[in-house]
Amino acid sequence: MLGTLIDDYPAQARAFSPAAAPVVVYGTSWCAATQMIRRHLDRLRIPYRYVDIERDPAAAAQLRWWSGGRASHPTVSVGGSILIEPTLDELDWVLKEAGLL
Amino acid sequence: MNARLQQLEQKYTALDAQIAESPVKQALSLLHAMVHEVRREAGPSPAGAGRQGLTIRDIAELYRTAPAMEGPAQNAGLPVGTEAPDFALPDAEGKTVRLSDYRGKPVVLVFYPLDWSPGCSQQLDLYQHDLAEFTRRGAVLLGISVDSIYSHGAWAAVRGITFPLLADFHPKGAVAQSYRVYRDRDGFSERALYVVDADGVIRYSHVSPFLNHVPDIRELLGALDRAASPSPAQVAA
Repeated sequence: MLGTLIDDYPAQARAFSPAAAPVVVYGTSWCAATQMIRRHLDRLRIPYRYVDIERDPAAAAQLRWWSGGRASHPTVSVGGSILIEPTLDELDWVLKEAGLL
Repeated sequence: MNARLQQLEQKYTALDAQIAESPVKQALSLLHAMVHEVRREAGPSPAGAGRQGLTIRDIAELYRTAPAMEGPAQNAGLPVGTEAPDFALPDAEGKTVRLSDYRGKPVVLVFYPLDWSPGCSQQLDLYQHDLAEFTRRGAVLLGISVDSIYSHGAWAAVRGITFPLLADFHPKGAVAQSYRVYRDRDGFSERALYVVDADGVIRYSHVSPFLNHVPDIRELLGALDRAASPSPAQVAA
């Protein structure tokens, strides 16, 4: 089972409900691209769960499994679709496909 | 993603825990990463479709495969409460920008190692995307590195950066030195942030512990909010 941690990020993270918002962002607190993805989802008001891979070894292992041996981040899961280091355009494309945008 | 692909992705994800670490596992995860990249090629703006040569996007993304920019900090920076040293540096248009030009407004000084390098690219993108948060606070954002004005101009154009990038080019790194964030051994600055308040006093100072670490933007915006309120010295006066 994949361990998860929700940090102190405001309302969106707390409001997460798997049925309504199957978006998970895996990243680290010091990564600019992770921050950019999170700010982007916040601006779009799309709820998501945030997993800090430095505080969650199981999640880091999961990322290695997805991305060819290194824990590439940010990685975003949208309803089970995996996006490794997506651009904001790529993320929007998958969000649209999932009916979230 | 179609339902079948999504189903397969979920099955793949679930198998992780059942396969012990081995070259076989490594090969499988590499194959997954390759499929991901192939799918990305067919994405919203296919990278290889109907064009010749490099695109602007290819150039903007060069940092992804560039040599890493890593290493621990070598300097601690100037402490909070210090008067921010004034400077006069050219921006990408060759116009001289002085810190003292902005007296009366909070200024965010973003010292970053080098144009085109990993980490830096994404840090300035992060601020560019949240520019409204800075302007809403009446703040001015200034990027500073040892690159030339021409490098700054090309780099800002490719990345769509609209706030000024200043060239601490000659004498090289002199301003970074005055802010105690110059890495002598490397010839470029630390990744460091200063918030200078309306009176020219440093109210927030942050040197990244590692070059590739970009500080939390929420912390920076919080520091800007605090800089807009009277300092303890002003209250005491």
